[in-house]
Amino acid sequence: MTAAAKQLVDLRGIEKRFPGVHALKNVRFDLMSGEVHALMGENGAGKSTLMKVLSGIYQPDAGEIFIDGKQIQIHGPRAAQDLGIGIIHQELSLMNDLTVAQNIFIGREPRRAFGRLDEKALNRQAKEIFASMNLSLSPTARVGDLTIAKQQMVEIAKALSCRSHILIMDEPTAALNDAEIAELFVIIRRLRSEGAGVIYISHKMHELKQIADRVTVMRDGEYVDTVDAAAVPVSKVISMMVGREVRDKAPTIPDLSAANVALEVKGLSRGREVRDVSFSVKQGEILGFAGLMGAGRTEVARLIFGADPRDAGEIRVMGREVSISKPADAVRAGIGYLSEDRKRFGLATGMTVRDNIALASMFRFTGSGGRLDDGGMKKTAQEFIRRLGIRTPGDGQEVRLLSGGNQQKVVVAKWLLRDCNILIFDEPTRGIDVGAKSEIYALLEALAAEGKAIIVISSELPEILQLSHRIAVMCEGRLTGFLPGGAKTTQEEIMALATQREPAMQPVGEDQ
Amino acid sequence: MNDAIAQPAKPKGFLRLIDTGAHQKLLAVASLIALLIGFSIGSPNFMQTSNMIAILQAASVNGVLAVAATLVIITGGIDLSVGTLMTFTAVIAGVTLTSIGVPLPLGIIAAIGAGALSGLISGTLVAKAKIPPFIATLGMMLILKGLSLVISGTRPIYFSDVVGFDQISRGSIIGDLIPALPIPNGVLILFIVAVVVAYILNKTVLGRYCFALGSNEEAVRLSGVNTDRWKMAIYALAGAICGIAGILIASRLNSAQPALGLGYELEAIAAVVIGGTSLSGGRGTINGTIIGALIMAVLTNGLRVMSIAQEWQTVVTGAIIILAVYADQLRRQKAK
Amino acid sequence: MITRRSTLLALPALAMMAMGSPALAQDKPYIALVSKGFQHQFWQAVKTGAEQAAEEFGVRITFEGPDNETMVDRQIDMLAAALANKPAAIGFAALDSQAAIPLLRQASDAGVPVIAFDSGVDSDIPATTATTDNLAAAALAADKMAEMLGGKGKVAVVAHDQTSRTGIDRRDGFLNRMAEAHPDIEVVTVQYGQGDHLQSTEVTKAILTANPDLGGIFGTNEGSAIGVVNGVRETGAENIVVIGYDSGTAQKQAINDGLMAGAITQNPIGIGYETVKAAVAAINGEELPNIIDTGFYWYDKATMDDPQIAAVLYD
Repeated sequence: MTAAAKQLVDLRGIEKRFPGVHALKNVRFDLMSGEVHALMGENGAGKSTLMKVLSGIYQPDAGEIFIDGKQIQIHGPRAAQDLGIGIIHQELSLMNDLTVAQNIFIGREPRRAFGRLDEKALNRQAKEIFASMNLSLSPTARVGDLTIAKQQMVEIAKALSCRSHILIMDEPTAALNDAEIAELFVIIRRLRSEGAGVIYISHKMHELKQIADRVTVMRDGEYVDTVDAAAVPVSKVISMMVGREVRDKAPTIPDLSAANVALEVKGLSRGREVRDVSFSVKQGEILGFAGLMGAGRTEVARLIFGADPRDAGEIRVMGREVSISKPADAVRAGIGYLSEDRKRFGLATGMTVRDNIALASMFRFTGSGGRLDDGGMKKTAQEFIRRLGIRTPGDGQEVRLLSGGNQQKVVVAKWLLRDCNILIFDEPTRGIDVGAKSEIYALLEALAAEGKAIIVISSELPEILQLSHRIAVMCEGRLTGFLPGGAKTTQEEIMALATQREPAMQPVGEDQ
Repeated sequence: MNDAIAQPAKPKGFLRLIDTGAHQKLLAVASLIALLIGFSIGSPNFMQTSNMIAILQAASVNGVLAVAATLVIITGGIDLSVGTLMTFTAVIAGVTLTSIGVPLPLGIIAAIGAGALSGLISGTLVAKAKIPPFIATLGMMLILKGLSLVISGTRPIYFSDVVGFDQISRGSIIGDLIPALPIPNGVLILFIVAVVVAYILNKTVLGRYCFALGSNEEAVRLSGVNTDRWKMAIYALAGAICGIAGILIASRLNSAQPALGLGYELEAIAAVVIGGTSLSGGRGTINGTIIGALIMAVLTNGLRVMSIAQEWQTVVTGAIIILAVYADQLRRQKAK
Repeated sequence: MITRRSTLLALPALAMMAMGSPALAQDKPYIALVSKGFQHQFWQAVKTGAEQAAEEFGVRITFEGPDNETMVDRQIDMLAAALANKPAAIGFAALDSQAAIPLLRQASDAGVPVIAFDSGVDSDIPATTATTDNLAAAALAADKMAEMLGGKGKVAVVAHDQTSRTGIDRRDGFLNRMAEAHPDIEVVTVQYGQGDHLQSTEVTKAILTANPDLGGIFGTNEGSAIGVVNGVRETGAENIVVIGYDSGTAQKQAINDGLMAGAITQNPIGIGYETVKAAVAAINGEELPNIIDTGFYWYDKATMDDPQIAAVLYD
């Protein structure tokens, strides 16, 4: 098939400026038919901007675009679609209130006379696409009711339905578990064998070897290099991305035999999502929570934090039983929860770094008559900016202008200020680039060394292995086992526990 | 541990059963029936044909306005101008039919056209000029109120000389066929408008984009849809429906009352919300809106027939609106 | 099926029922009054008069009106609901008489006598009309204004409404009288404040800014008159002759304080009383005159406490 490979995309000398930012500087990129071309770079390196140029959302200030050998201009998303360019956006862009099929064909609905919709054709065509993807999904399901992974599949189906032969996937696996990633890769490989070209953006290094043919690296809006994925070691790609060496080692596990138990949970239950979960974390310990998507890890965290009501179970903090029925109770007990969706649950993104850090501790800065002590807030905020190494022009910067890693640090600062000694991190590095990841890891380790008890929920096994002093594994709402941290444990051992279903509970014929 | 938060399993299952999507309409209908039964017990004069017809007639204008408002609200917008736009179109009908003296069908078309044009302007302000819908339609609300007064010369325009005009709303085609059921044409028109708009909403591209825009406008735009143009079309359609409401009220009063109209937008929005349409957009039904309008009309009429003091009528109406939306909120939380 | 929401909705209705339904128990004749308004003191005074008559003649009444005087269709809905209760007679103050005719005809077909009050209905259906002669009353205001200005100067009108009968009659009564009898007085402008205190205040301030040599202002109803007083006070203008209409605590206070020269009062209590009295007469099949003039009076600081005046003023 590669014998007749032809060039699908050729971008030359692309320039794009935004007010105050030179986002793309003389960037080039090309895509052949029948290849998966990975585009790598830290957040802010310009990958997404480049792809928005290719998909017609942005117009380049300079440079040439060749599609299928012809030089053209792409005037808008619709024009890109017509050229066979499909994009799967990083932040899912689906309409939750519409059905799966309605989402897939938005803007291209099969119509009858007078603008009437042909709903039957719509659902039939969606079904055909699912069949070709080997995917079992109901065309009439409401998208808002699907899991993130299924929504991701809908996005892919949407791109395929346009008969796109140039597919852009912007972090398609960010929200997928390993089984789903494997499914996705099957689809990608088939598309490749059919002669399509796939531009693949990801932060997960180990995926490169599995799926990519070539890798192009960008840094600070500039083209760095294009290399053969099979020939170049991952560490080389990473150093190209960050311009420096990044550590990649197992943690040293501290001796915690004399440490106090900070948090103890017994018999925690809620419906089928969380079933009789018991565990404890010591001061200074990092307990990793591994498992597939939907295993109930986030649900456990939400129960401990009082975000959802529990059916049963008791929670002890420093040996004393605490009554937690709402997040405020948990915070009072010194438990902080850092949600996987920072923008929705963790931060007031339109407010300043200072205000966000102080958000949970306003009472400290409230003087007589409800007046806020701005000076005190400023001083405290600056202290945390220094201590956690938050990269921001100042404490008055709006949080939305910070990078993902620095936003995460702001959330951490918020809980530290609130005297939280038990911190639950849910996917702490989601959407954070490689360089910043190791900073977050270092921060977690430093916090543990200070005596904080830390729970880390992560879907990335390498992350679990790199961070955890001890690993708890969940499957279908149950804790299926604990594993020691460090180099002693392998990914396979974790996966064995993560897929250990309860035989009696396994319904017949439900498996997909 | 806290026992209060542990929920027994059985009621949960039961609630889930009645709270599935299919029961949403049933819930609203049940509320309506509960009100009808309540008032029938409360006053022997409530449940009689003439009073039921009076309720339907009272619901007709507000119902049509609420249908218009539903379209815009589903897109995630709001239209505050529906009330005064109705008045404006009534005045346009008055001027064309009496001062200019065009034939009746042309006058009706002029009114509906004026409504569509005004809606198009609102839509353009929202889509192209990026003015928030609340502000754009607030401005239009005042502009239209002023224009109604200017065009009419600040006095009511009477249709006494326009043969058949009052029959548009007051006449009864159904009553001519079935004398026992003298349902006024105004009510018939409300139901025709409701059926047509429900069809548009569920079966046409325009309707699909209504929901899509309210659900995730950016995603629709990135899918290559010309969102601005569709939004303008939706506001224009809503405006045209306000034009129908204008004809209805003018026919019912046999006059165009230029000072009327302020406050009607809020009642229309109340009917929409009682009907289960989300103010944040993306979901809603015309059935729900019609039931919402009927609930409002039954409530006002029933309290009156029961001779409840007027000041208390207002209190009860406000409380019912809040309760209805709160119940809907509970249902949604349970559904999650 | 009783669902949670229907229970929620039914609760207030049931509560209302528990408060007792006056429609059921009593055998007294029932007279439904549908007025133009409800919240203003004027209409509350009409209601008071109607209740006095109801007490006296042994009938039961209800009294309702729309939130503001533009809501013509809402008034029709009220009339429809009133008819559903099978009243012995109806009292009706039409916002727009044309719009109500089908329902009034329905009433008269059913043998329910209709008494018009406050303003007339352009039809032969009403048995009688209990009303103030607004044209004559506003003309009296013009005469008083001319007298106080010494027959010359500039004046303005702050009216409550462009479209209602009373708004038009009071404005025209004042303007016509000025033109006919007081040629040296110029009416510089007529502005509308919708009878709203705040809007009328703003309108007045604008008029005073535009016409610094203004001699007097006529406010055509309670809300307009109080707005005029507020506007004059806020701009600090002096020697402005303010003439009001109707009464109410604020207006009486303004007259006592000398901010207002005087005002025309209708007899709202009399309107309510005469309406119910005429309804009772109509139920009994008695003959009624075409118009029952309920009268109007000029009152000022000196005459306010006369028993005859005090009786028709309301707080």
